[in-house]
Amino acid sequence: MQSTPRPDFWDVIYYRTTDGRCPADEFLDSSPVKVSAQLVAVLDDVAGAPPPRYSGGGRWEAMHGEMRGFYEVRAQGPRREQFRLFCVLENGTAQELARRGLSRPALAVITGLRKPWRTAFSERDYDSVRRLGEDHRAQFPRRIQE
Amino acid sequence: MLDTSHHRRRTGERRQDPEFQAEYERTRQELAQVNAVMQRLDDLRISAGLSKADLAREIGRNDAVVRRLFTAEVNPELRTVAALAAALDAEIQIVPRRKVRRRRALRAAPAEA
Repeated sequence: MQSTPRPDFWDVIYYRTTDGRCPADEFLDSSPVKVSAQLVAVLDDVAGAPPPRYSGGGRWEAMHGEMRGFYEVRAQGPRREQFRLFCVLENGTAQELARRGLSRPALAVITGLRKPWRTAFSERDYDSVRRLGEDHRAQFPRRIQE
Repeated sequence: MLDTSHHRRRTGERRQDPEFQAEYERTRQELAQVNAVMQRLDDLRISAGLSKADLAREIGRNDAVVRRLFTAEVNPELRTVAALAAALDAEIQIVPRRKVRRRRALRAAPAEA
């Protein structure tokens, strides 16, 4: 029987594309400092009290429909601009985590998007996030920013 | 195994920036407060021997709504939190921090002098 590690905190890892880019780093670096700080604070909060425990203070939400399996971190910037960081959970048995190159469960930050207040992301936007997420999940071990 | 320290190193560097650090700390405190409220409600639910579905029935909501609330899958609405508290025979209180009380006292002092 496989043991499932349940450590007190999870790692936070950032997906890296095949050409070596790190969309999460690029997004956080291009966001206003305060927004970037808020997004990182939520990541640390969730990683410190990982699912299924309550954390994220309502700024961490599971996505539904076509985006099922993704979680988004939410922040609001100047002029109510909306910032979203898209993540997936890396969890499983110790053996499965090892196959992914991980020694403990992790939040994998895939990429981020921003949009003006009271607007919605397009299907193309969501599709681009899903494609990056699928690429991430197809990698054994995971291809991450180191 | 992969080196998973990138986020920790990155955050450590960013926190050298006072603006980043202040907002990071402010956000962590805000999250801690919301988390504490939801954790307290869940503790009360468990003490009362209620399942999440029982609690959902008490407040007339779908049990999936309450289940998602306690696993942080949705943003808790204050109205729902208040209803949950009432169903658990509890209430939400806002307690001013000492700093705020001191500031008020200082503001009131010249008028009294």
